[in-house]
Amino acid sequence: MNPLSKPWIWSWGAAAIVFFLTLALTSGRGAGELAYAALSFGAFAAIVGLGQMLVITLGPGNVDLSIPASMTLSATLALKVMGSEPGTAFFGLFVALAVGFGTGLANYALIFLLRLPPIIATLAASLIYQSIAIWSNRGLRIKPPPELADFATGRMFGVPNVAWVGIALAVAVWIVLEKSAWGRWLLASGQNLRAARLAGVPVESVRAATYISVATFAGLAGYLLASFSGGAALNMGAEYLLASIAVVVIGGSSIAGGNSNVPGVWGAALFMFLVVSMLNSYGAGAGVRNVLTGIIIIGIVIAASTKRVRL
Amino acid sequence: MKISKVLLCAASLGLLAGTVQADGQLSDTSGKRIALSNNYAGNSWRQAMLQSWEEIGSAAVADGAVSAADAYTTSENQATEQAAQIQNMILQGYDAIVLNAASPTALNGAVKEACDAGVTVVSFDGIVTEPCAWRIAVDFAAMGKEEVDFLATRLPEGGNLLEIRGLAGVFVDDEISKGIHEGVAEHSQFKIVGSVHGDWAQDVAQKNVAGILPSLPDVVGVVTQGGDGYGTAQAFKAAGRPTPLIVLGNRQDEMAWWAEQRDANGYETLSLSIAPGVASLAFWVAQQVLAGEEVPKDLTVPFLKVTQDTLDETLAATPVGSVANVTYTLEDAQAVIADAK
Repeated sequence: MNPLSKPWIWSWGAAAIVFFLTLALTSGRGAGELAYAALSFGAFAAIVGLGQMLVITLGPGNVDLSIPASMTLSATLALKVMGSEPGTAFFGLFVALAVGFGTGLANYALIFLLRLPPIIATLAASLIYQSIAIWSNRGLRIKPPPELADFATGRMFGVPNVAWVGIALAVAVWIVLEKSAWGRWLLASGQNLRAARLAGVPVESVRAATYISVATFAGLAGYLLASFSGGAALNMGAEYLLASIAVVVIGGSSIAGGNSNVPGVWGAALFMFLVVSMLNSYGAGAGVRNVLTGIIIIGIVIAASTKRVRL
Repeated sequence: MKISKVLLCAASLGLLAGTVQADGQLSDTSGKRIALSNNYAGNSWRQAMLQSWEEIGSAAVADGAVSAADAYTTSENQATEQAAQIQNMILQGYDAIVLNAASPTALNGAVKEACDAGVTVVSFDGIVTEPCAWRIAVDFAAMGKEEVDFLATRLPEGGNLLEIRGLAGVFVDDEISKGIHEGVAEHSQFKIVGSVHGDWAQDVAQKNVAGILPSLPDVVGVVTQGGDGYGTAQAFKAAGRPTPLIVLGNRQDEMAWWAEQRDANGYETLSLSIAPGVASLAFWVAQQVLAGEEVPKDLTVPFLKVTQDTLDETLAATPVGSVANVTYTLEDAQAVIADAK
């Protein structure tokens, strides 16, 4: 089989090219440093991207725009209950995941009970989550417990711990999607909701589980990011709204749903970090950087999708 | 500072005399209502700003200086939304609107409507260009230049600098950066070898600094815009590089890190930013305008500086996770007005 027919090849290829272009500037110095940074920061985009991929796979109109607010709220509440006390890391993790679970459940309730389009429901709900985050802690940055901060910024076998979490999650999502009945149901619902329902797929349960998963992933990402960067901030999730959607699309998943691509999400997450690093390293200004980032993303999406047609 | 203190005393004495004897210049504002129109609340600086407003506003209402000091924040940080908010305030009959604007120009229409309806508009931090409004601005370019001047005193032999910028496309970011580049032009021993946007957020700064560091030569100093110093320090630490001299921006986590470094290895730096309490200054300026005081349209507020000597004191006074702050009083406002005349 032609390897170029795999849509995820494109995001990994683009990440590799950008990586080497950056190293060309330094004549090879700092390769390990750059790869390490890309794995660290790519992990956060990958975790929320995996969740967003599941939602987008549900089919047209399905997207979770409350990811930044869910991240902020989970992280804010988790760091508040931990209060920098040693030994509370697991309790904090539980709180972050529970808050994520709750926001996902609320999102789905709005979509299902009020029949709101997911874009409207999650956007409106995110205002509420953000307000709760503001109200609960007034934007104060509380430090994570020391052992949690050490874990989040630490490494194992030369790979950042946060990247291990992201990789483990990617493997789990891949297994669920490819090997479990639930994954097949999700793909079937995304390809044709009506056909899936008639075929006996519990469509609403699949949708509920998906919206809860994405918010729980967002809670996990928020918890890790806040532990990594020394505290939760009210605007910490802002850049993950676009990033979560971009990594799905660049990664080769179909924006129309029904087709997801786990390895591509990680490739795209690394690429998104590396392309900004490359343009910064070459001294591009903010305007040039944004324009070039946009052009490069469009190019990869076109490349990945035309190859898929030929498949 | 000394002169302004003297002026301040003179001004406050004048005011006391004025209130007691009613010398005909200042009128009573106890029936006046002031509203705060704020475009954004999503970071610790804005939260501290809202708190300052609340403190000063409720005290002023309790003392009978004004009858209302209500704060309103738009949810989406959009100029159109804030314009609608200002129009509502006009309809609600506020006597003055204190404004932190989403855009320097896009709100001019709504501000003009307010002025035409006889409402006093005082903009601060995010100022508006409409001539009928008052502006309380910070000389951001001077702030950027001061960072480089400070580095020149600490690192006379010069070296490579990394510049952390703010949010691309925002007036404040351009101004601070302009000042920094002016400073570098003046102190030619420095060279800016890299520049990244940190969006005034520690996690964004950390991410982008980590991305550019591998391609940079040795860096001796980092010039920042505030809210990005701690993330920068973390990125240098993660890359295993020696910590350069990072100019900080008054955030509590930055100052705590500074104190930690100072105790461990004698780290010395400077921290400067605008105090969120500038909202309270804007409040008193609006009150003074309502009282009939002649206030020049353009006022300048000094930035809040933390030095090696004042670090412990400021750190102790700043709530954990917040921003160093000062709350301005009526006397401070009168001093600022007197300075501008």
